[in-house]
Amino acid sequence: MKRVLQIFIWVALAMVAATALATIAFHRGEPISATWFVLAAGCSYMVAYRLYSAFIAAKLLALDNTRATPSERHDDGRDFVPTNKWVLFGHHFAAIAGPGPLVGPTLAAQFGYLPGTLWLIAGAALAGCVQDFVILFCSIRRDGKTLGEMARDEVSKRGGFIAQLAVLAIMIILLGVVALVIVNALKSSPWATFTLASTIPIALLLGMYLRFFRPGRVLEASLVGVALVLFAVVAGQWVADSPAWAKAFTLSGLTLTFAIIVYGFAASALPVWLLLAPRDYLSAFIKAGAMFSLATGIMLVRPHVLMPPLTHFADGNGPVFAGKIFPFCFITIACGAISGFHSLISSGTTPKMIQREVHARLIGYGAMLLESFVGVMTMVAACAMPPGVYFAINSPASSVGATPIAAAQTISSWGYPISAENMAALAHSVGELTLWNRAGGAPSLAVGMAKIFSTSIGGDRLLSIWYHFAIMFEALFILTVLDAGTRVGRFMVQELGGRVWKPLGRMNWYPGILISSALIVGSWGYFLYQGVVDPLGGINSLWPLFGISNQLLAAVALVVATTILLKMGRLKWIWVTLVPTAWLLTITMTASYQKIFSINPRIGFLSYANLLTAQIAAGKIPPAKIAETQRFIFNNRLDAVVTAVLASMILVLLVEAILQWHAILSRGQQPVLHETPYVPTQWAEGD
Amino acid sequence: MQRSWNAMKKGMASFWQGLREWCGDAAYEKYTKCVLRSRQQGDLLSPTEFYVQQLNKKYSRPNRCC
Repeated sequence: MKRVLQIFIWVALAMVAATALATIAFHRGEPISATWFVLAAGCSYMVAYRLYSAFIAAKLLALDNTRATPSERHDDGRDFVPTNKWVLFGHHFAAIAGPGPLVGPTLAAQFGYLPGTLWLIAGAALAGCVQDFVILFCSIRRDGKTLGEMARDEVSKRGGFIAQLAVLAIMIILLGVVALVIVNALKSSPWATFTLASTIPIALLLGMYLRFFRPGRVLEASLVGVALVLFAVVAGQWVADSPAWAKAFTLSGLTLTFAIIVYGFAASALPVWLLLAPRDYLSAFIKAGAMFSLATGIMLVRPHVLMPPLTHFADGNGPVFAGKIFPFCFITIACGAISGFHSLISSGTTPKMIQREVHARLIGYGAMLLESFVGVMTMVAACAMPPGVYFAINSPASSVGATPIAAAQTISSWGYPISAENMAALAHSVGELTLWNRAGGAPSLAVGMAKIFSTSIGGDRLLSIWYHFAIMFEALFILTVLDAGTRVGRFMVQELGGRVWKPLGRMNWYPGILISSALIVGSWGYFLYQGVVDPLGGINSLWPLFGISNQLLAAVALVVATTILLKMGRLKWIWVTLVPTAWLLTITMTASYQKIFSINPRIGFLSYANLLTAQIAAGKIPPAKIAETQRFIFNNRLDAVVTAVLASMILVLLVEAILQWHAILSRGQQPVLHETPYVPTQWAEGD
Repeated sequence: MQRSWNAMKKGMASFWQGLREWCGDAAYEKYTKCVLRSRQQGDLLSPTEFYVQQLNKKYSRPNRCC
């Protein structure tokens, strides 16, 4: 009887998921309630978790509860620490949830709500969660080895080196892009700039407290820190209202660029306890609170989604970024559906802390589902504002016009009515000077979140506070990614550079720290700089570049996973990883090809460079602008080379893996699996 | 009534312990228990040494995602 009831419940959930998905897919004309999005995502995830992840756990991976995990065999209280599965789920989710699911879906909303939402749900269930789960399993079976180490052992030495280089390249592009999101969120906004700047002394204060007064008492220090940050959000309004202070904190994009570069260098070179770690604590608490509040707010307010399911920008001429739905919607959504970066977390700390193999299902598959849910909530927040407002905020001046009146006319001509007066009133109500041309996703998401929060608490009176809370939340945790990424990048540069010049490899040699910090900051700083100054650059060129590199890393992870599974003799179920691998390679290679060779100058790096070259040759560029234009030409050629190098590295790895697969399948080679030997667990079933 | 109260108290205690473990407050306690269990007390780090060492390790590998 109990079994029949269970079947009935799961069939009912599947039917709700199907009905909700059909409703959002076929609904036309009138605005649609966000409830359908929550139902479609929530029920699909529950069914996917119950059925698909259970199938993978049982058939593909054959998780073994009697096998001792690395945390049991090497328990040292430092690296290998057996951890409760829900606590580890929290750790893992905090590590994988970054700015990607907030920025990607917001940008992809230019195609309408439908393509992005469907990919967020299907991509997570069938690809993203599978990658995280399988890589976590592979790493558990190898004492917590990293993706690079597994690629070296299971594919080839060259494969390991390629994976390491790919990670470094992706890190550099990622940091440049997320820094650009911060610049676009803070420029000409004294309130937001003051609030974010205040988090630096607050983090330093916390760092001192945790280092010298109460070592390791993170909870009490973080609560004080969060209270101070919230006070800084309120105090930002006083700064914005004071002409003298407002002037001091009103910074241009270029000034902010250099400020962030200097900050990144300091965060990388200073002791980790002083700035990086305390900022991370603040960010973790605020991130958890803000995401929970957004999901609760959407469920309480149930806003109507005003964006149409499909806009005519599906043809590739979108103002936010150029390119058709295939492949650019998938590249843009990136982390909300599948993120290569997650494979680094799944083969990092998490496998060393997991208590039992079966917990990998909840932690690997489940945490990614939650991240995808954040992506769907973001899509709702971005699409709940009038489409005209969305395009006004996210379109660069080069796409819509430099003046508010010209931009309003352009956007209205697309069928999304907006006026300069409406935008001025909206900017005033959120405490900003202007909301035009704030590409990057952060300001439009902040407007969407502020509308939802203020409908629940405070009404229009608190709109500006909520807006700046949302900006602070996004910028704070993007800055945390920037700090942590720069530091890790520095270690990678030292490790790789140490092979060429030994002293650079010494992690405590201060000149080495400064040189490698300057190298890594200089690299992402260059991408940031070109994104700020180039009129067709910025989010239009850098976010797709980031998406391509991130999805290529996911393809690397899935190629490694497929090789391991083939060696384990799981040929019958190999499509579970092989199909997402083939899909990712198709979208990334198509996107790479288009970004390099497309004849549309808004898409192709080379055609834009050629267009500018022709303009110089024809004398269309004023002499004063020639040097600047030549820099744009160089930047676009550099971006083309970077894209080509990334794609080539992954193709080399793929060829190596295919040779391995052929050898295994033709039985020409006895597969050598580098698993740690089976050791039975000493723990009782309930431990 | 008493049973519900006890269950609630147990649930709250578990939540509190989980929160302390999640944010890192309980890390030193776990570490000392592990060292005492393995009887290598001579190697026991002070709370400050342990805190700084853990941070240096944590932030030398990818630990925050995009």
